[in-house]
Amino acid sequence: MKGRHDVGQIDLGGYSKSKIPVHILLSSLRLATDRARGDRCGGAWRLMLKLLNVDKHYGPPERPVPVLRNVSFTVQAGDFCAILGPSGSGKSTLMNIIGLLDRPTTGEVVVDGETVDFSTPEITAGLRNRLIGFVFQAFHLLPRLTAWENVALPLLYRRVARPRRREMALAMLDQVGLADRADHRPSELSGGQKQRVALARALVGGPKVVLADEPTGSLDSVTAGEVMALLRDLNRRLGVTIVMVTHDRDLAGLCDRRIEVLDGRILRDTAAA
Amino acid sequence: MSSPGLSLREAVVEALDNLRAHRQRSLLALLGILIGTASIVAMLTIGHMAQLETLRMYRHLGVDIVQVHAAQTGLAPATIDRGLAEALPGRDPRIRAVASMGLGRFPVAFGDQISDLSVAPTTQDLARMTGMRLAQGRFLAPIDDGGLSAVVGSEVARKLSAPGRPLRVGEQIRVGGYVYRVIGVLAPMPFTSFDPVNFNETVQVPIVGGQRLIGVDQPSTVLVRMAPDADIKAAAQRLTALLARPGASLQVLSAREMIDGMNAQKAIHSRLLTAIGAISLLVGGIGVMNVMLMGVMERRREIGLRSAIGATPRDLQLMFLIEAATLASVGGVAGLLAGLAAAGGAAVFSGWAFAAPLYVLVLGPAMAALVGVAFGFYPARKASRLDPIEALRAE
Ligand SMILES: Nc1ncnc2c1ncn2[C@@H]1O[C@H](COP(=O)(O)OP(=O)(O)OP(=O)(O)O)[C@@H](O)[C@H]1O
Ligand SMILES: [Mg+2]
Repeated sequence: MKGRHDVGQIDLGGYSKSKIPVHILLSSLRLATDRARGDRCGGAWRLMLKLLNVDKHYGPPERPVPVLRNVSFTVQAGDFCAILGPSGSGKSTLMNIIGLLDRPTTGEVVVDGETVDFSTPEITAGLRNRLIGFVFQAFHLLPRLTAWENVALPLLYRRVARPRRREMALAMLDQVGLADRADHRPSELSGGQKQRVALARALVGGPKVVLADEPTGSLDSVTAGEVMALLRDLNRRLGVTIVMVTHDRDLAGLCDRRIEVLDGRILRDTAAA
Repeated sequence: MSSPGLSLREAVVEALDNLRAHRQRSLLALLGILIGTASIVAMLTIGHMAQLETLRMYRHLGVDIVQVHAAQTGLAPATIDRGLAEALPGRDPRIRAVASMGLGRFPVAFGDQISDLSVAPTTQDLARMTGMRLAQGRFLAPIDDGGLSAVVGSEVARKLSAPGRPLRVGEQIRVGGYVYRVIGVLAPMPFTSFDPVNFNETVQVPIVGGQRLIGVDQPSTVLVRMAPDADIKAAAQRLTALLARPGASLQVLSAREMIDGMNAQKAIHSRLLTAIGAISLLVGGIGVMNVMLMGVMERRREIGLRSAIGATPRDLQLMFLIEAATLASVGGVAGLLAGLAAAGGAAVFSGWAFAAPLYVLVLGPAMAALVGVAFGFYPARKASRLDPIEALRAE
């Protein structure tokens, strides 16, 4: 496979100061890249995410409050999309449905060719663990755990043994430039560092799509720019598919594609220049 | 399909971390579990020690002994026919041995020392049956019949000894106007409620010739050793029939019945302690539930996050159940130690040997853990049913 050769070209940049053996680093990166990036090669872009006629209503069925109306769109493997829109337009609702945290009232969600079965929380939890990486505005790191333990959390629910979890988490922390903070607790990290730990956590399991709902919303503009650059960089280097909600038009401008949402509908879907 | 995710060890470490983080609140919940476990452990251990003690006390007699007493009904002293009694082992194979004794109370003097003591006219069979041991000299023997020989108990020797003039074998004592020669001094022996008299404080003299002291040469009490598997109730009826004589009503006491009576008494105590233990455990369980519910409320964001990254409802439920069980087990282990300490105190207080039955070491903490699981179930279920979106938005 051509994708395999790409691994050799990954630029570890200034981040590989740590003493993690290269084979571990690579094997853990493969998790993140093989499925996503390997499928992208050969010229054809591959469909990673598809929403088909998704409606979402809140409230009682007899007086439904529509929040999403007939939303359909697709995201290709390796895409970096921004979702923009005014407050209350339904961006987070959309992200929750893509992230399999919420079920659409009607319509279907297809991730990596797999039509999502929303029937039980057990099934969606398993799918989330395998397919989705989350980055939140509020970081949501567990304060009692160290950075690497936070990063390794998704692997816990895959029965990965602790030593292996540590290896993979350290490799991912190295990717986000925090190898030297592995044993720090969140309270000892800056906002930008916390979000980078959260990013490593989103990536550690090799998800199909990383979802970031206002990932820079809690950060000052300089730090926000740094985190954005890192997202951009990880998307390019590892080929991860990213869907991000932001209010910041400048940050959105750094993405490949902008999806503008208004009142529960997709208003515009434009590729960046 | 879904995996439990957390290894048990990690879950327990996690639970202990949480415990530390909310020390005061957890301690309160633990107190109930601790008291509950402690009282149950103490009860079981004290019961165990008491039983060992009873067995130890009755060992010199054996639980297969039956006492037959002649109760006085008229003016004449009530007696049992000694010949009839001592022929019993030959008549009934379930009767192994018989010892006869009478009982009176007389001033006993040795030199200047004088004391009011029990005097028991008896035979050599008594020593054999009750497991008496000698400090000096010998027991009564057939050659003493009709003579003035005496075997004294350890307390008798102590009471009658004067400084520089101990009561020893060969000395002469005055018993109710007759001078007896001491042929044996007993070693101290346990005195139980089943003994017809405290042999430590009794002077034994030959039953043949005993009429000089108590007016009759017939026993008022007969100790009978039954075969170990004999039915004591039936034996008691048979003995009454065999030994019945006009003018005396016979009363039969068995060690086994007395032990049963004591056990019944103890059962009441232990039921009381069990009730206290159960109520404390219940209170502790409710405390655990409370702590866990507060924990679930406080950690909604964590629950939401775990759910988002792939924890199934089952994973979350298991996590909180393990936490509740760990919390309760800590109380259980503390309760076990407290219970053993209390039992140790009781042992010192009663002069018993401390002994804990092995099973309580397991039972105490296990019971506490069970309470934790039972009362942790509702909070754990609640945690597992949180909507991840709302949970992530909490605070
Ligand atoms: N659980 C719910 N029940 C009822 N209405 C809801 C619920 N969740 C969201 N809504 C409504 O749906 C609409 C869209 O909400 P959503 O959070 O998706 O907006 P958003 O675009 O993310 O806004 P913001 O930019 O402020 O985050 C809002 O009007 C909101 O009030
Ligand atoms: Mg939102």
